[in-house]
Amino acid sequence: MTALPQQPDPPVDDLAPRFRSGDEVALREAYDRYGRAVLHLATSMLANRADAEDVTQATFVAAWLGRDTFDPAKGSLIGWLLGIGRRKVIDRMRATARETRVVETVRQLPEPAQTAPDPDRVVDRLVIADELARLPDDQRRMLELAFYDDLTHQQIATVTGVPLGTVKSHIRRGMASLKRRWEVDGAAPGARAAGFSGAR
Amino acid sequence: MQHLEHERLVFLALGESDADDGESTHLDTCAHCGTELTALRQVAGLGVETQGLGDLPDPPEHIWQGIAAEIRAAEAVPSLTEARRQQAAEDATTEPATTEPATIGQATTGPATTEQATTEPATTEPATIGKATIGKATIGQRPGGSAGGLSGPGVAGGPGAGGRSRARRRAGWSRWAASAVTAVAAAAIGVVGTVSVLRPDEPAPTPTPAVLASAPLAAFGSTPKSAQGDARVLQSGQLHLHVANLPRVPGYYEVWLINPTNMEMFSIGTLGGDSDALLPLPPNVDLKSYSVVDVSAEQYDNNTRHSGDSLLRGTLTG
Repeated sequence: MTALPQQPDPPVDDLAPRFRSGDEVALREAYDRYGRAVLHLATSMLANRADAEDVTQATFVAAWLGRDTFDPAKGSLIGWLLGIGRRKVIDRMRATARETRVVETVRQLPEPAQTAPDPDRVVDRLVIADELARLPDDQRRMLELAFYDDLTHQQIATVTGVPLGTVKSHIRRGMASLKRRWEVDGAAPGARAAGFSGAR
Repeated sequence: MQHLEHERLVFLALGESDADDGESTHLDTCAHCGTELTALRQVAGLGVETQGLGDLPDPPEHIWQGIAAEIRAAEAVPSLTEARRQQAAEDATTEPATTEPATIGQATTGPATTEQATTEPATTEPATIGKATIGKATIGQRPGGSAGGLSGPGVAGGPGAGGRSRARRRAGWSRWAASAVTAVAAAAIGVVGTVSVLRPDEPAPTPTPAVLASAPLAAFGSTPKSAQGDARVLQSGQLHLHVANLPRVPGYYEVWLINPTNMEMFSIGTLGGDSDALLPLPPNVDLKSYSVVDVSAEQYDNNTRHSGDSLLRGTLTG
């Protein structure tokens, strides 16, 4: 095993309840853990870096001020944060589009092509990445070989020296965990029936 | 044909092999297997796209400083009048480089008008926030170098940059352990820490009015989702209301307290064009029953009843 040692059972993670109860240390921890995911969502969607940083800041402020509306039973803290971030990104995109339209009406220029990715897709990706990082080492490593290196089960067995049956079992369990998490925290239609709830 | 083995569905989802004829026929007709395969395919597709997401760059520290400043400002809103008064006194006695103006400037923008708040320079904030005692206590206990509370590592000094390195993140579980230590430390410091983070060290001559209950207000019904607000019941017997992005209405906004069990309600005042309002509450108000804060759009129609057109609502907790 070349991966970093990782305990199978993490210490009880009480970040979400502490965040909800107003512990400011938990706010900083949440920022340390999930700030980069929120910023990634924002930078993926917004061309202007300053806008993306503003949205990241606004997301954490709104989350903190609206922490009462966060229900840990309904999803993870990162899923909730990304849901707020997603809405703020869309708000910002609409505001920018409005400004652009005004300017372009004046200038009589054509509308620029909309090339930004789908925010739901970015959120889903981040949720899956978060779950992938939480999987037991064996499962994560084998899924990474399948996802990133496009290896077959058999090739993974060869590369890792793990018996094929074990590879299959790890990948199946890993995929099941990813899917479960996606259904709880994902943003895309199909990930779950209801939309995001919670603070803005 | 029987359902496909889950392992087989995962195989198909990963594109490792194609479904044979029998499987295809089954997948076309079996909602259970078909749905599962579709979901697994989505997950596999997303999985492929996660490459690189495990190693995203840390956000710049100034974002955190902005968060801390904005939250401090939001928490300070109820004491705005006092803060102004205090500021006037300080201006008269201290040098002009005081950190207070930034705080007050942001306080007037309120908690939700992020556009304004974020464009303000947050650079004056660390000095004030740095006085908070919990930050220092926590920094000392946390090997990772990431400070707790609203006192960011930036406050701890330049070396905070080292604490945000990839190495720290890669440290994985040791960081969880560090967090656990922090949590214990934080619990020990508890309430004192929270209070001291939110306020400067100097004993304020007029302390922030205690918030007895608060409610985030969200867009109600067909109101555009960007409309939002916050309501806080202050110990002074007033309701501080902050709103943002309310849709324009031909009439005016009115603020109500509603008893959600029987929908009885009474008006506590109207909102002008400002984003903040302080409304006196009846001294005998039962906020346990009348727990819903409602902002409605009213017409100038000599009808004192609720128009039925609610723009914002939220439930007081506290």
